[in-house]
Amino acid sequence: MKKLTITALALASTMMTTPVLADGHGSKIVDEPLELTIHMHHKRYTSYDEDWPVEQTAREMTNIHLKNKTFGSNTPQSDEAINLLLASGQLPDIIGTSRIRDVVNQYGPQGAFTPLNDLIEEHAPHMKAYFDSHPDVKSAITSSDGNMYYIPYLPDGKYGRAYFIRYDWVEKLGLEIPNNVDELKTVLEAFRDGDPNGNGKKDEVPYFARQWEELIRLVTLWDGRSSGSDTYHDYYVTDGKLAHPYAGEGYREGIKNLAEWYAEGLIDAEIFTRGSSSREFLLSENMGGMTHDWFASTSGYNRLSADIEGFSFKAFAPPASISGKRIEEHRRIPFKPDGWAMGGTNEHPVETIKYFDFWFSPEGRDLVNFGVEGAQYTLVDGEPQFTQEFLDAGPVNSSLYQIGAQLHARGYFQDYEYEKQWSNEFALEGIALYDEGDYLIDQFLGVSLNADEQKVYDKYNAQLRTYMLERQQAWILGTGDVEADWADYQAQLENRGYSKVLEVMQAAYDRQYN
Amino acid sequence: MQKKLAWFLQHMRREWQIYVLLAPTIIWFILFLYKPMYGLQIAFKDYSIFRGIAGSPWVGFEHFQTLFESDTFVRALKNTVIISALSMMFGFPMPIILALMFNEILNQTYKKTAQTLVYLPHFISTVIIAGIVVTAFSPSAGIVNTIIGWFGIEPIYFLTKPEWFRPIFIGSGIWQEAGFSSIVFLAAIAGVNPSLYESAVVDGASRWQMMWKITLPSIMPTIIIMLIIRIGNILEIGFELVILLYQPATYQTADVINTFIYRQGLQGGQYDVAAAAGLFNAVVAFVLVMTANTISRRVSRTSLW
Repeated sequence: MKKLTITALALASTMMTTPVLADGHGSKIVDEPLELTIHMHHKRYTSYDEDWPVEQTAREMTNIHLKNKTFGSNTPQSDEAINLLLASGQLPDIIGTSRIRDVVNQYGPQGAFTPLNDLIEEHAPHMKAYFDSHPDVKSAITSSDGNMYYIPYLPDGKYGRAYFIRYDWVEKLGLEIPNNVDELKTVLEAFRDGDPNGNGKKDEVPYFARQWEELIRLVTLWDGRSSGSDTYHDYYVTDGKLAHPYAGEGYREGIKNLAEWYAEGLIDAEIFTRGSSSREFLLSENMGGMTHDWFASTSGYNRLSADIEGFSFKAFAPPASISGKRIEEHRRIPFKPDGWAMGGTNEHPVETIKYFDFWFSPEGRDLVNFGVEGAQYTLVDGEPQFTQEFLDAGPVNSSLYQIGAQLHARGYFQDYEYEKQWSNEFALEGIALYDEGDYLIDQFLGVSLNADEQKVYDKYNAQLRTYMLERQQAWILGTGDVEADWADYQAQLENRGYSKVLEVMQAAYDRQYN
Repeated sequence: MQKKLAWFLQHMRREWQIYVLLAPTIIWFILFLYKPMYGLQIAFKDYSIFRGIAGSPWVGFEHFQTLFESDTFVRALKNTVIISALSMMFGFPMPIILALMFNEILNQTYKKTAQTLVYLPHFISTVIIAGIVVTAFSPSAGIVNTIIGWFGIEPIYFLTKPEWFRPIFIGSGIWQEAGFSSIVFLAAIAGVNPSLYESAVVDGASRWQMMWKITLPSIMPTIIIMLIIRIGNILEIGFELVILLYQPATYQTADVINTFIYRQGLQGGQYDVAAAAGLFNAVVAFVLVMTANTISRRVSRTSLW
């Protein structure tokens, strides 16, 4: 009887693997199972788990068996963990972590990581196809010695943040959704004075933001810039020339006006200290009027219409700037500094690169984006569709982490379809609006500095930024006057090495992107 | 030589228990204080984690030069000294005053309750303390602005005003730690010989006189030793609270050496520069302790060594 059961099991398991083989894609990389070691660290999952269903399926499909060799699993800080790993001197075959870009660019040229260019060229058709069609991403992840040392997590979908406003308040006050900066000011003044929440108190907060940097973002309405990428205070690029947004004329004009808005009470008086809970608090207390925040999560607040009569907080097109330009400065970056790399002592580089490539193949992409077929999704007309049961089970993204899908410490290409299937209608409506207007602008994807350039950058950049932010807040809060201080400010930036930093970054940029 | 060895063996055989008791402390010192000193050399090297301490090239005093050429570092140094000096001036006497006050409470239940209440803030995590401070000083809902509002004063956005940072920081530090620090002084007071008080009572001394003439002089050695230790830590400011409370708008008065190291060194991965700043910190602290100890030995004959 026992023998029979085992036979039945064996039969069943061959039946399960058969379709994969029959597909003829030949996703098996090696005939005999091969073990590779991996360090995988992310704040949400601080070590690699062989039991993740996605990993089990991948193992079956590729015959590559990953073994957990993660350092620093007891800390949620991935940068600490990777430093511990590097200091130990024993790198595993694969290293996957958040913020791996700086690490590989710094230590790759010293031999800690295996260069990937030739391997991709020869053994990784799917990744090669991706990089051939995205030369800018390829340039961006290329290190100062001309090699690529990591495969990034590549988010899909362009949109990140958008302007949101209380449509019901605008309507109640007999106004129109603002089309330009002057109309915006009128609307915010009406929010302040017109008591749109109808409680008889002047407690409305016209513009608020979870991150105070989103206040600075408004300088785009005066043709200034606040950042060139999806991180705050970053350099930006126009016509191949790098500059810092906080040194430009538009910025000066923007700050001057924002300081007035702040003084007039159009901006949340506590914007610098209210912090991350401000959106939750001000919206549910029926006090907040407008913000600039993420599409998906901000649209979710429309659930408040159950408690607040008429509540409608939706995205509106970026108001035109003083020169008539409508731009949305924030967007999702096409690649993240997270992903995975190959250790410098890896003895199976060909198998490893083929394994990396597996996740870019159609089967691998479905697996990493949607989970296991039959469990989390089914194929509907050949396209993966989450099962209703899985969608109802709770927050989709955290359920996916738990089964080992959508892990950002892995190099893979996201499929926006995965997110679309659980985005709410207001978010999709807003994205359609932004798509129509084509408001996004090009981003600065970062530069890979060589050792000497890095030294210059390290020496000046931190204190340069400290100074910029100090002056910025002082101007907004009214303890300084941007018009009067401007010449001195420029001179101080120069003193603190602004053009030296710019020079090394420009050199790196020219090397990398031309 | 033979004789000495024999004496040593005999000594060890007789006193070994004491050495066993001493061992954990010595091992702790070697592992956590002496061994890491090897790593201090990265302050003089162009450090790469991957190459390791021994494999990184020497750069001499380059990192120290970088530090002192930076206006931000010099300002941070100045702020550190000012904040420390002020918090010593206002913060150091508080636990002593508290201990003396507790000592005067006769009702035991009341005394225990009061003590527990002032110890409590010590056990609250810094993040929560920062949250309490931010809320208390908020211009719209904070209790401080509500109270000054009763007197017709316009709300002040305290946490963005450079001139308010130090009072708020030092005040919240005192609120959190004064109670707990008073324990050591209470212990010292408990050790005062009761016969001194008895004879004072016989001589008709008032409680006030007993406090000034007996209690304070008796605990003076403890006070001085605590003061010397405190001086040694003058450059060590609890920087978590600074990071949680400061803003670019208040860097001017709030940025201290440790927050500077944090921004420059750890966020940017410049361990060598951070180590140089840390070493500088330690050298200054060493000089300060030596000075304080010498002065104290000359003046009051109390000293750490």
